Amino acid sequence: MSEKNYFFIDCSKAADCCNKAQYKEAKLLDKAKLYLHLVFCKTCRKFTQKNTKLTQLIKKSRIQTCPEEKKEQWRKEIKKEFAEERT
Amino acid sequence: MPAHSLDPNKWVDRYSDYLFNYTIVRVNNREVANDLISETFLAALKSAKYFKGEASERTWLISILKRKIIDYYRKINSRKGKAEVKINYSDDYNEGEWLEEQVADQFDRTAEDEMENNELGLAILECLDSINEKHAEIFKRKTIDGADTEAICNEFNITPSNLWVIIHRARTALAACLEKNWF
Repeated sequence: MSEKNYFFIDCSKAADCCNKAQYKEAKLLDKAKLYLHLVFCKTCRKFTQKNTKLTQLIKKSRIQTCPEEKKEQWRKEIKKEFAEERT
Repeated sequence: MPAHSLDPNKWVDRYSDYLFNYTIVRVNNREVANDLISETFLAALKSAKYFKGEASERTWLISILKRKIIDYYRKINSRKGKAEVKINYSDDYNEGEWLEEQVADQFDRTAEDEMENNELGLAILECLDSINEKHAEIFKRKTIDGADTEAICNEFNITPSNLWVIIHRARTALAACLEKNWF
């Protein structure tokens, strides 16, 4: 791999790194490559901006999920009740 | 033919997180919220025959849940003495400073903020309805539950690169869906 290609990444790799960065799973070197890419690519700058905003919105919403055990209990209750309703 | 039909076996997967987020901000207690959702599902099954198919399943379930929440407040308020407002000093040191102490802190989070954030949460879940069910599930595990990449890959039997493709698609769809009202 030439030195130039090593530092310059394409848009799909930039998007991949940007997504991982939202979950703090991007490597430092990959992040450096992403920032370098962003200097030249307007489309990816826009994507990164939107993606970061989405992360902030999700955090702000303080959205929660129900625990799986609870869901399983509800599934059973509904299945049982549904079967009884039908008979 | 009605525009919508009921599929009770899918209710938990499709709507439980939405119903939970709707309830938790209104009753502020996980146990109570879970009980109300459970009651809602059972009441919905009992009145399924009255579902005309004019509203979506979710709207219909929410209308039942709303009544359950109102009933819950009626019940706790009817217990004698529980509805009294008690005014206390927060500590001895502040005695006599009651008014100052009770003035709203303008930098504090307001109830309006809380409701707006909750609406945002419900909008996110609504948007997730429009993408593939399994992808939405994976997105929620990763983004809301904060589960490990490896754990999710094992759970859904996918590779890490599959996972990141799914996350990418979900995030793009979600941003597009939220763009009009929230960006």
